[in-house]
Amino acid sequence: MATEKEEKKVYVNKKGLRLDGRKIDETRPIKITAGVLKNAKGSCYLEWGQNKVLVSVQGPREALPKHTANPLKALLKFTYRMAAFSVPDRKNPKPGRRDIEISKVCGEALEKSVFLEKYPNSQIEVWAQILDSNAGSRAAALTAASVALADAGIPMKDLVTSVAVGRADGKIIVDLNKDEEDAPDAVDMPIALMSNSKEIVLLQMDGLFSKKEFDEAFEVAVKSIEGIKKLQIKALKEKYESKEFEQASKLSEKALPKQPSNLLEKDLPKQKVDQKTGQKKEEKKAEVQ
Amino acid sequence: MKKIVVPGEIVTEQRKRTGEHVYLQNGKIYSDVIGITDTESMNASVVALKGFYIPKENDIVIGLIAQELFSGFLVDIGSLYLSFLSKDSVREPLKRGSIVSVKVIKVNELNEADVGDTRVFYGGEIFSICSIKIPRVIGKNASMLDALKRGTNCNIIIGRNGRIWAKGGDTELLFRALKKIEKEAHMPNLTNKIGEFLAKERK
Repeated sequence: MATEKEEKKVYVNKKGLRLDGRKIDETRPIKITAGVLKNAKGSCYLEWGQNKVLVSVQGPREALPKHTANPLKALLKFTYRMAAFSVPDRKNPKPGRRDIEISKVCGEALEKSVFLEKYPNSQIEVWAQILDSNAGSRAAALTAASVALADAGIPMKDLVTSVAVGRADGKIIVDLNKDEEDAPDAVDMPIALMSNSKEIVLLQMDGLFSKKEFDEAFEVAVKSIEGIKKLQIKALKEKYESKEFEQASKLSEKALPKQPSNLLEKDLPKQKVDQKTGQKKEEKKAEVQ
Repeated sequence: MKKIVVPGEIVTEQRKRTGEHVYLQNGKIYSDVIGITDTESMNASVVALKGFYIPKENDIVIGLIAQELFSGFLVDIGSLYLSFLSKDSVREPLKRGSIVSVKVIKVNELNEADVGDTRVFYGGEIFSICSIKIPRVIGKNASMLDALKRGTNCNIIIGRNGRIWAKGGDTELLFRALKKIEKEAHMPNLTNKIGEFLAKERK
């Protein structure tokens, strides 16, 4: 009897708080720092609760081995590796089935956001090393990787932001930790989005949701992704934004003569009309000839 | 007003002519790189804060001879690939490890460059900075370059790929100034600051 009582955990209590005191739509505390490695083109260190991820970006550079190169676009090689000390029991450092799968899905997610066609025949390498983990490490790696890519100055459509949503004890919760992932009815669903276009670039599901639950979970995920994206942007801008920069940019605003902004809009259609008429005239001339 | 944008952030919702590092989606103009944009400019464009060197025609770059072939050399110009330098245009004896200043003659659609107009460096030192900060090292009408030359008495040759060759004068001070420029490239009024820095540090 005593063991049964111990096993039955209350995942969400009457106050709506979870095992670690979070609300159901609250993520673990996130800390993002961009540009931490000197010798990488771009890098990012991210702490997400107990998860610690270090991501570095190299390239674009010559694609090797050469037969893998694509003359139409760059390759994006994502490598997800867990350190031997990142889990309670020692992990064999040899890349396992799970590492290879996560490398593949995260790489494909990032491919959607990078303008790969600008750098044909080259490769961009993203190395994500998990230093400490406690569920949701692929979401953490992907979030950090997109900051590292932006830090490297690689042209991207948008930042990719990821979060895991799931269910424990019949309740939809955001950002599950290890205890919640081990709940008897647990579902774990990592999602990655490009939040401008709401384009889904990664969606996996461990366990089963009903359709209603899925819709609810997706809505919650989109909401928390917006919060995480703000942290990503803050991390990227942090290095450059200073009081001096702000003052100077305001000064330049005063110094410049103000132009009415609607002047531009008025000008543009006129130009277009001119171009059109110009084109028409040319066409007529051609006919005459 | 100038503002910092990150990839996927809106540069403007107005209709404007698009410049570098922006893309159009649903009638709005977004940035595709971390950089600075001027909200009052007639063009919507972003000046990147981070990036790498992609060769353009007529760029003068500083390269390292990486390999000798039968009819030419492969030169490392810090781009995505090694560039080919034909032996026809080379008069000086070159070998692996020589440092040369070359001009980019031709760039193909894969960003591979052929180079020529070789000049060999004898002596001097080379300092590398991020290639996209090079316009700041030169400045408007070469004002920054003049300030650096005056402040340090160095002979300076700037490669578009971010490598800067210097000989004579106070090269140590020059490299410290270059580091400062690279670090504060996004700040306004940099030429005056560097001028003050050089005057202060000069012995």
